[in-house]
Amino acid sequence: MTIGFAGLSHLGTVTSIATAAKGFDVVGFDPDAQRCADLTNQKLPVSEPQLSELLMANRSRLRFTQDVGALTKCRVVVVSLDVPTDASNRSDLTPLRKLIDHIVPALGPETTLVILSQVTPGFTRSLKVGGVNLYYQVETLIFGRAVERALQPERFIVGCANPSTPLPAAYAEWLRAFGCPVLPMRYESAELAKISINFFLVSSVATTNTLAELCEAIGADWSEIAPALRLDKRIGPHAYLGPGLGIAGGNLERDLITVQILAEQHGTDVGIVSAWLTNSWYRRDWVLRWLHEAVLSKTDRPVIAVWGLAYKQDTASTKNSPALALLESLGQFPVYAYDPQAKAAVTGVTQCPTALDACEGATALVVMTPWREFSSYSAAQIRERMPGRVVIDPFGMLDGRALITEGFSYYRLGGQ
Amino acid sequence: MIKHYHSQPQSPGRVVVLGARGFLGSTLVRRLNNVVPLGSAEVNLLEPASVEKLRGIVRDGDALVFASALTPDKGKDTRTTMKNLAMGEHVAAVVEAVKFAHVIYISSDTVYEDDANPVRESSCASPTTLYGLMHLMRERMIWVAAQKSAAPVMVLRLCAMYGAGDTHNSYGPNRFLRAALKDRQISLFGQGEEQRDHLYVADCARLIDLCLQHRTAGTLNIATGHAVSFMDVAKTAAAVAGGEVQIKGQTRSGSVTHRHFDITETIKAFPSFRFTPLRTGLTEAAKQPQ
Repeated sequence: MTIGFAGLSHLGTVTSIATAAKGFDVVGFDPDAQRCADLTNQKLPVSEPQLSELLMANRSRLRFTQDVGALTKCRVVVVSLDVPTDASNRSDLTPLRKLIDHIVPALGPETTLVILSQVTPGFTRSLKVGGVNLYYQVETLIFGRAVERALQPERFIVGCANPSTPLPAAYAEWLRAFGCPVLPMRYESAELAKISINFFLVSSVATTNTLAELCEAIGADWSEIAPALRLDKRIGPHAYLGPGLGIAGGNLERDLITVQILAEQHGTDVGIVSAWLTNSWYRRDWVLRWLHEAVLSKTDRPVIAVWGLAYKQDTASTKNSPALALLESLGQFPVYAYDPQAKAAVTGVTQCPTALDACEGATALVVMTPWREFSSYSAAQIRERMPGRVVIDPFGMLDGRALITEGFSYYRLGGQ
Repeated sequence: MIKHYHSQPQSPGRVVVLGARGFLGSTLVRRLNNVVPLGSAEVNLLEPASVEKLRGIVRDGDALVFASALTPDKGKDTRTTMKNLAMGEHVAAVVEAVKFAHVIYISSDTVYEDDANPVRESSCASPTTLYGLMHLMRERMIWVAAQKSAAPVMVLRLCAMYGAGDTHNSYGPNRFLRAALKDRQISLFGQGEEQRDHLYVADCARLIDLCLQHRTAGTLNIATGHAVSFMDVAKTAAAVAGGEVQIKGQTRSGSVTHRHFDITETIKAFPSFRFTPLRTGLTEAAKQPQ
């Protein structure tokens, strides 16, 4: 059976390759000829652990094309274009609607159309697709863990025009290949389920950050508290309990804004969303506040080394990245930055080829992204390269005790 | 959101300071080079005629710092409030008519609701006192007037200040220092547990100067970001005074409340700025006649 994908951005690229890995023939359609040519030549548009290997191993079942007619013979066509957001984190659904309008005339009479893109509640039912069998399916792509999530999903949440009608055989067969529960529900429930998942994540992030800050103030240590919470069945071992620099990346923020807009339309109370956003902005500037306290307010002409630009590890994305927000505030100081993947054109910032090169001559080092690579550097290596003795390491990637022993002032989230 | 019209500091040109004989105004005037200091003796802002008088003094391209107000020690009632609003009305009329290069309005943290904690620029401005309400009203009066003349407006909301030349003698560092020097005794409410932010007046003047040099627009709270208990302030004042100073607590009638400031926006606007530590500020204040 052949499964078609329309839109080969991050979501479409990963999901199409994962589908091929499950043994299906795959047609990947995108109007961008260069994108298709690159994928045909195993040149990926996104960086994800294991994705390149997965593409190589399954390339015989993958065909990438800008010919929309290639979708005609697909029994299931998945619309997998990532929905962009603007600077206010509002979704722009125009490219998605345009893509759907483009492919629908090419679909075969028995084709099932599945919307996998990040749509707002009400979008799927609003589509005019003639007599095509239409479904919405929740995507749960996580940057940096996209392959793992695509191959081993926890469940499929499927939005249907009528949830009591069995899914089309071909669609059910594709889903069955992933070996996880399938939860059919009405379109609107599925669309809101996606947002609901993100809301629970944001609430965990905000709760963790609120209490981690209190830890810093009263001499507690969040790293001692978190394991106790993970053993609580109502919280769980995989809960988001790592303190961080607010929410970033764009997807969680998008859902918060979407719900604010819906609540305004329908008159429901979402005061908690404003509180989460305020908390997130506040936490984003945690490093700046400590940097000011420990360095900027005490040192003439400080030089700052920044490790990490991406909004999180294992991705090159800098959408809403706390590192970029920090760099904006450091405009008047020399800054030397390093990131294993992300690049950022910020005035006054010099990007260095290695992490230790960025430390050369620095007054302070700040670690803005928890890349695993950073844990490999010793306190002695850092001491050798930088004359300053301040390290701000929110995620605790470095050996704090060793740094303190080497004479550094050391700051991390949630502890002393 | 703060905006620097000048990313690099530039001379602000001529600066007209209203309230130039007040605690903050006089400190600011001493700091500025090209300044026109105006107190109530020169222009009585309570009078409607002050509009024409002020228009005869200022000129297009001036920067204006509006630091005149009848503070709560002069009255907390409606009459005082209306006088303050009349001053705002008259200054707003001038702001509307003159093409100022920059207008700075000196406001107060009393515009925030009492339980805002930490206080930040996005905190709800919901004053519980007439004084706070007056400042909020005057902020808007100046904003609206400046929109018509297209002048960039900076609103600075100040926490309590201390330093030489303070005539208010309100509960806090100045009163404690005077009491320590004169009476060798400081009286606290309760045990002085309340934590507050105390701003050194010279720091405030330096920040206003920076705003003038960068032609900064927006709203900024001015506080140090470090709240200190009144007991600690009293101990610091006693140490600065030297010798034996008794700190006396009293039975508390009300509950203990604290106020902290999140000064992230100030750090972003002026990342190199250094606030004077309380002890240093009080030491400098002690050198002046009390």
